[in-house]
Amino acid sequence: MIRITRPLILLAPLLAFLAFAYVLPFAGVIGWSVSIPEPGLQNYSSALTDPLILSVFWRTFRICAIVTVISVVMGYILSLLWVRGTPLVRTLTELCILIPFWISVLTRAFGWLALLSHRGLMNGWLEALGVIDDPLRMIRNEFGVIVGMVHFMIPFAVFPLAAAMRNVDERVLLAARGMAASRTRIFWQVFVPMTAAGLMGAALLVFVFAIGFFITPAILGGGRSVMVAELIYLRIFQSPDWGLAAAISVILMVAISALLTLLLKQLSPKGAE
Amino acid sequence: MNRTTNKGYKKMKPTDNFTDDQLELLADKVRQGKISRRKFTQLGAALLGTAALASRGMPALADDGQLVFVSWGGDAVDAYDEAYGKPFEAATGVRVRQDGSGPTEGAMQAQFESGAPSWDVMDADAFSAESLGKKGMMEPIDYSVVDKSKMREGYGWEYSASTYFFSYVIAYDAAKFGDNPPTSMADFFDVEKFPGKRSMYKWGVGVWEALLMADGVAQADLYPLDVERAHAKLKDFKEHVISFWGNGAESQTLMLNDEASMALIWSTRARLLEQDTDGDVKSIWQDGVISPGAMAVIKGNPGGAANAMKFIASAQDPEKQMVMFDMLSQGPANPATDDLIPEDQRRFNPVAPGNFEQQVSVDVEWYEENYGAALDEYLAIISS
Amino acid sequence: MIRLRPGLVATALAVLVGLFMLMPLLAVVPVSFTPKRFLSIPTDELSLRHYRTLYQDREWLEGIWMSLRIGVLSAGFATALATFFSIGIWMFRPRFAGLLMGIALLPMVAPPVVSALTLYFFLITLTKFNGVVAYDTMLGVALAHSVMIVPFAVVLVSVSLAQVDRRMDLAARAMGASLGTRVFKVIMPNIKFGVIASFFLTFVLSWEEIAVTIFITSVEAVTLPRLMWQGLRDNIDPAIAAISVVLIVIVAAVVVGRAAVTAVRAR
Repeated sequence: MIRITRPLILLAPLLAFLAFAYVLPFAGVIGWSVSIPEPGLQNYSSALTDPLILSVFWRTFRICAIVTVISVVMGYILSLLWVRGTPLVRTLTELCILIPFWISVLTRAFGWLALLSHRGLMNGWLEALGVIDDPLRMIRNEFGVIVGMVHFMIPFAVFPLAAAMRNVDERVLLAARGMAASRTRIFWQVFVPMTAAGLMGAALLVFVFAIGFFITPAILGGGRSVMVAELIYLRIFQSPDWGLAAAISVILMVAISALLTLLLKQLSPKGAE
Repeated sequence: MNRTTNKGYKKMKPTDNFTDDQLELLADKVRQGKISRRKFTQLGAALLGTAALASRGMPALADDGQLVFVSWGGDAVDAYDEAYGKPFEAATGVRVRQDGSGPTEGAMQAQFESGAPSWDVMDADAFSAESLGKKGMMEPIDYSVVDKSKMREGYGWEYSASTYFFSYVIAYDAAKFGDNPPTSMADFFDVEKFPGKRSMYKWGVGVWEALLMADGVAQADLYPLDVERAHAKLKDFKEHVISFWGNGAESQTLMLNDEASMALIWSTRARLLEQDTDGDVKSIWQDGVISPGAMAVIKGNPGGAANAMKFIASAQDPEKQMVMFDMLSQGPANPATDDLIPEDQRRFNPVAPGNFEQQVSVDVEWYEENYGAALDEYLAIISS
Repeated sequence: MIRLRPGLVATALAVLVGLFMLMPLLAVVPVSFTPKRFLSIPTDELSLRHYRTLYQDREWLEGIWMSLRIGVLSAGFATALATFFSIGIWMFRPRFAGLLMGIALLPMVAPPVVSALTLYFFLITLTKFNGVVAYDTMLGVALAHSVMIVPFAVVLVSVSLAQVDRRMDLAARAMGASLGTRVFKVIMPNIKFGVIASFFLTFVLSWEEIAVTIFITSVEAVTLPRLMWQGLRDNIDPAIAAISVVLIVIVAAVVVGRAAVTAVRAR
């Protein structure tokens, strides 16, 4: 009895809460994929063969993968200084991390439009500095979408990375130093591997979060980069076909879960066992 | 003590008389609008216990004493409140709450499917309301209360009542093209004569018509839309489109920031642009596409069908429609309103004589049947 | 004690990233001072009218208060559930840990629109039984937000836990410590940063949450994003830029204040 109840006390609250508040109603929604408009798997075969849907899937995964890599890398750099810099550096970095949170999504979108559109601030400066002759197309396209999404995601990558970095045992680093390892070597071969859990957590968080984005890409992409979250929105609200929307969602979730299972294996605890 | 009147309860026991009476008193309070339906549930639960209340079933409540009107947000929220909401409350005592979340077809469907809708009346697309109505999700308009003679010919449908008009029009950079403005849809697609980028509606409505008109199809011959021909032209032209706008604010930003020199936008936004830019952005009615705005009611709405119909009928009053024209540039549904509009404002009314003839009216039935499939292909083209 | 500080290259790169993070401010701050009624960069004059709207317009104040309450409640609830859950998984490594994690992360993995519908139907079901925790109520929204944000908290706390040496827990168990002692006195102090970061992150997520909120609220529980969204579908109100600036000033003041206090104490 004790064997079972002890973990249960810790695990049960969350699981019970989600089972009741989410999993059950969710099962109903997912059920639409095989019941609307008629019972069967037609929705799945449509979803997997329709060229629009497939191109949307591909575009989404591509953009989200790019955004994840860039965000985690930039987040790593920022985290490094936030956790290990001098007090002054730490305060400045903290400002850079915490401030963007409070600029709401729609304000940010406008901000990027003002900065990157062809009569915007960036093009203005670049032309004034003589770097370019014609304005660059930095917004209302995929580039703009990636910039907007990366900017949003970096703070979300920073937190798991910082959490991992804080627990890095200084003595291991000093020991490596003591063995005359160069700074670069210590960084790449000792420090980074020790923060692996943080990297995995950050990548997971950013990637999955990014897949759900549609407001930012819709505005910054010129309405052209239709991502999967927007497609589902379309199929539920604009021109409803709930069965198809549910099928697309299930396919998406299966794909993400497959990726997550791979990543999650990295988060298993260390220590003697 | 015999209970011969069944007030909508299920499974009665003789000893329940006292609690039934209490429950009935509470129900009466709700019907009179003294307490909300929610309060009733709470007090009922306190009286009987939640499970008992649930299994017993709700007594038949006619309505919960208020109406929730759902619009597309922003300026519309204040406008609907000013023009229709407050006067209705003053006249009938029924409070009208404003919800600006945007009654898309799917949202209305979700409200109905939930089994307990919280929306009463919506500013809905006529073709959405008809489509949902045919599936039994909408309340048919009660034309004994809502007056069909106060609408223009052909705009009162089974599940939605015509309440205003707006158009998809060409807005252009007057500072750039002022001396030589565009005069037709063909000009919109002529990037040599009128250089610069364009912007069009992301959700297709009005764009198919524009593509076909520019390709030489006469207004009278547009419907049924030759979607293939329109899409062929779209494929050729899309490189000149800088952005496909998805909501009103976006369409304004595009013109305000000089990102496009011409755009196909709603006439309501076009008027705001002309005001906000002091005439730097203007619009023309020629080759515009008139779209009907309508009010619809969800079946089983909490405020009761009777009050909902009364509300819609109250919105037919010319003075009130004048307020909507003032605040939102809505073309009035009631022809009697046209005379109330001052001379200098008439050029903003899409259905004013003079403006109306230059445009083509959207075919609601065609959209009811073909919108979904056409939109899918449209999106596939613009996103590749 | 940190002895090896990041070098010059790292610092230079971090500066670039930092500047990138602050770039939107170049537009957001000026826009909040625009005299016009729509989002625009002011050219001639500046105006405080949008800041005035914030404290004069009851709607904005109510929206802020609503979002604040919902944020604190949902972040607190989600962080607590997530912390216990993650510790449970870490401590006991149950057989179906993968599956359990999968359930915990489900709201994050599902497309937001699907979650929105799911939570809408859930809250409507609750509405049939009570009027306090239901559709369009503060507690109902807080509950729904908790569902959406709990996966993020689980990830954050789990990452923290991955760095903790299991032997500490084993030693405590060997010495006869009860479950409560192990959880609260041994493990939690070591994941303090993760838990606090969780609370903060989930608060921000709830504060910004719009996709689900739009479908579970109508006229009563109007959060700040809901107010903005309502005002932005057809309008482009610079008051939203003003709000951002106010919040940023508050946050910056807190950060700098805290750093100053620490610096003074260290002397």
